[in-house]
Parts: sequence; C-alpha cells; structure tokens
Amino acid sequence: MKCTECQMENIEGALFCEECGAKLESRQELVEAAEAAGGAQLILATPDGNKLDIPAKDEVVIGREDPISDVFPDLDLTNFGGMEKGVSRRHAVLHRAGADYTLEDMGSTNGTYVNKKKIQPHAPQTIKAGDEVRFGKLSLAVRAA
Amino acid sequence: MKNELNVRCVMSKDALLLTETEQAVYAMVDIKAGSRIGFGATGANFALVLDRSGSMDGEKMDNMKEAVGYVVDHLSDRDLVSVVIFDDQVETLIPSQPAKNRDEIKASLAKVIARGGTQISDGLKAGLEEVKKGYAKDRVNRILLLTDGRTWDDEELCLRLAEEAGKQGIAVTSMGIGEEWNEKLLLQIAEKSSGDSHWIENPISILDVFKGEVEGMQAVSAINLKVVGRMNQGVKPVRVYVTSPMIADVSIKSVMGGSVIAGLGSLDGRKGQTMLIEMRVPKQKAGKYRVGQIEVTCDMPSQGIAGQSVKSDLFVTFTADAAVAAKVNAEVMNLVEKVSAFKLQTRALTEAEAGNIAAATQKLEAAATMLLNLGEQDLAETAEREILSLKKTGALTALGTKKLEYGTRKLTQAIR
Repeated sequence: MKCTECQMENIEGALFCEECGAKLESRQELVEAAEAAGGAQLILATPDGNKLDIPAKDEVVIGREDPISDVFPDLDLTNFGGMEKGVSRRHAVLHRAGADYTLEDMGSTNGTYVNKKKIQPHAPQTIKAGDEVRFGKLSLAVRAA
Repeated sequence: MKNELNVRCVMSKDALLLTETEQAVYAMVDIKAGSRIGFGATGANFALVLDRSGSMDGEKMDNMKEAVGYVVDHLSDRDLVSVVIFDDQVETLIPSQPAKNRDEIKASLAKVIARGGTQISDGLKAGLEEVKKGYAKDRVNRILLLTDGRTWDDEELCLRLAEEAGKQGIAVTSMGIGEEWNEKLLLQIAEKSSGDSHWIENPISILDVFKGEVEGMQAVSAINLKVVGRMNQGVKPVRVYVTSPMIADVSIKSVMGGSVIAGLGSLDGRKGQTMLIEMRVPKQKAGKYRVGQIEVTCDMPSQGIAGQSVKSDLFVTFTADAAVAAKVNAEVMNLVEKVSAFKLQTRALTEAEAGNIAAATQKLEAAATMLLNLGEQDLAETAEREILSLKKTGALTALGTKKLEYGTRKLTQAIR
C-alpha cells in the first residue's frame, strides 16, 4: 500500500508509513465510506476522537468565540484548545453546496491547511472525508457523518 | 490463583482482508497486576551510584544529599541499601547493608564534597558489586545512577556493565542532571538493563525523581516478568517494543525466529506493562486463524507465588469483506502511533548525527506533525525549533535533543 504523503510503498496492513509516519489506510477507507454513503454530511474529529458536528448551514464560520468582540462562530473551537493552538476568531468558512464542501481561509493569523498544505486566504478549497484540516496548530480529521 | 495477573492480548485488527501476499498486523499485550495484589511486600536491594565530580558542587550536591536522605528514610529495615560515590576515583561509602542505620548513612553522605572528573564505569562496577552481594531472586534488585557530566572514554565499558546487570535481573535507572551529559549513553544503560532513565532539568527536581523511584520500587507487584510468544507456522514477528517505564525497541534481544522471548524485569503494580508485537501473517483462506499464543510468566514473592503463568491465544479472521477488514482497534492504533513517533524521532536524530541534514529535517517535520496529532504540542514545538536549528547551524541543540529523546520515549506514560 502506497503512502499518499510520501509515495513510499508500505507492507499491506501497516498502520503508519515507515518513511514519514503518515497514517495509512484510514484516508482510503473514509473516502470509500463517504462514497458508499452517497456524499453524506461531513463531521470533524479531534485526534483523541471528539466529534464536532458541522451545523446544517450553507456557510459555517469556524473560529474562536470572543464575546467581548461580539464574535460567535458557528463552530467554536475554544474548547478544543483553539486559543493555545492559534485559531483566529473568524478563522475559516466551510461552504456546502449539496454534497460538496469547500473550505475558505478568512485571512487568519496562523493559516488554514488541508492535508498539510497551506491554503491561500479567500480561495475555497474542496474537502472530503478522509482529509485532514488544520486551523493554526489545531488538527481535525474530516469524516463522513 | 485467579486475578493475580491480568493479561489482555488485543490485535490491531480482528479481521484481515484476503490477499495474495503477507500482511502486517500488531498485537498489544497488556499486563496488569490483579486487584488482589498488594504493593510494597517485595524486598528491595538498592545501590545508589552518585556522581561527586567538581561540577556537582552547590545546588546539585545539596539536593542530591537531601534526596538520598529521603530514600533511606523511606526504605524498610529489611531492604538492603548501598551508596557508591564516584568522580575519576570511586569509593563505596556505604557497603550493602539493611537500611536501618539511617543516621549513619546520612552522616557519611554529608561529608562528601564535590571534586574531580567523571568516570561512570567505575561507579557502575562498584554499585553492581554491592547489589550482587545482596542479590536474591525474590527481591527488586536495582541500581540508581546519577550524573551531571560526560564520562571519559569508558562508554563501551558502561554499556557492557549495564548488559551484565540486565542479564542478572538488576535494572539500572540512569539520571542526568542539567544539559552537559550524554543522553544516548544514559538511555542505552537503562535500555540494556530493562531500567528507566530520567532527565532532571533542575536540581530541585532530584528529590521528586528519587521519590518516584522509591515509590516505583515499592509498587513492584511481580518480578522476573517474561513474555513468550509462540507464533503459528509462517507468522513472523519482526519488531517488539515495550512501553514501560519508557518506549524501547527490544526486537534484537527478543525476536528469535518465529518466537518472541522477552525478559521484562519487574512489574510496576501501578503502571503495568504493555508490549507491542509487530508481525507478518501469511496469506490464508477465509475463516478464523490462530496467529499464535502469548504466555506471560512471573514470580510474586509477596504472595508466595513462583512461576505464575497466564496464556492467551491470538486470533484473526480472514475475510473478503473490505468494510469488516478496515476496522482498526483504536487502543492499539494509538499505541502504534506513539511508537511510530518515537521511531521517527530516533531516525531523525540518527540522520542529524550522521550529518544528513535534509533527511533529518524531513524526519523531524514528519515527527512534529505526528506529535501534533497526538496532542503533544510542547514536543511538536521542540521538533519545529530543532528543524530551524538544523537549517541555521546544521546541528541540533543539546536541550532540544534531550527533550525529544526523553519526551517521545515517555509518550506512553501520559495516558496511564
């Protein structure tokens, strides 16, 4: 099985890439699961397994709540270490059009990453089950709901 | 005899996909003392091997004396203790004796002044001799080695002594204070003897580490712990890791053809021991397949038990159902991830040491991502700082290297 990050060939059944440590299998499995579910709704999950439901809206603001500045994002990452991990108050927006999702960085201080690659501010990027998104230093897995 | 040892064997996957090739699978062997086991009933045979070199003068020496005072106050009268001090000369300050002459031991130590250089092997040799005098199979036999400096051209001898100690069931806990010591040597001393290693950043923490060691020794609930894995024909164990007291690759001394034979020393009743076995399983027909059997044996002197044995079989089911075969056990996955982070870090440091800056940077970047995913922000930031150091100076910092070496080895301790 080939690592999607570094293209190294690993033995069938390995869980992490010998060369770069990237998680193997899960991405493919999740893509397949999402496809099988016919483009079902997505959720985000922290590395320790906490699931964050994405509100059923066409535009979901992701960030860190700050009542003083009157900022109340749709998806508040404060309780997941948002402050310590450099999540901006209005960090990114998740757009939904039917079964398609795109993620747009709102000019955040510490950037938004999809599969370890930084995305340009205000340039929406498609995301799907199996991807990894990172807001500042807060990593979340994209999964099928 | 029930409940004296709880052994849980969990496979990374209950089901494997039918393939034409062999595939990797992991077995986690989790060993805990049963609920009826009491702590503190196993006698200790303990040598303190302490650095008195010139650089120990001041705060380090004062804190070390206080910590030794704590140790002798908290050992029982039937425990054996000895104290060896070394610089470039060695002196057995307190020969092996029951730990009841507490004031005498403390008074002898109070007279010690810092002087000279650092020759660890002489201290280790003398400490080993003292532990051997009181050696008994039903005791916790251990050496505590404390140093703040680099030893002079006797690393090889230190490692041979550690290996000799390990073979005799004498674990060496190595401790380095400050930044000017060789972490590679102290870690190898611990690994070769199935012991632990600690980095003491600040002399004030010496007492805490000594306390932890005494408590750990008193929490030993089983000794002569051994894991034997007898694999089915065609199943090849390839790597074996232990995770307590720190992650260590024990493959070289544990994998013997189709078997795993690992002597693990003593079982800390509070933490237990977890072993990870990575193996290759040959292609099979659909159905349930016995991968092998794990046998855990130990002695429990406090219970008057010798040769306690618990056996557990390892099974997987071969299936054509990809969805069933895709399910991974989360607990084993987490353990494999931590071991993988440790491996990446180790390889990065090896590459850096060999001057392969690009390869070291790449491995450290991967390690930083993994550590971040594990929620280890501090360690991930340390890795990122070391990447910058590599890019700027072509070398790692002493502080960052120690943080990564010790931090990744102790990743499995945080969850306990």
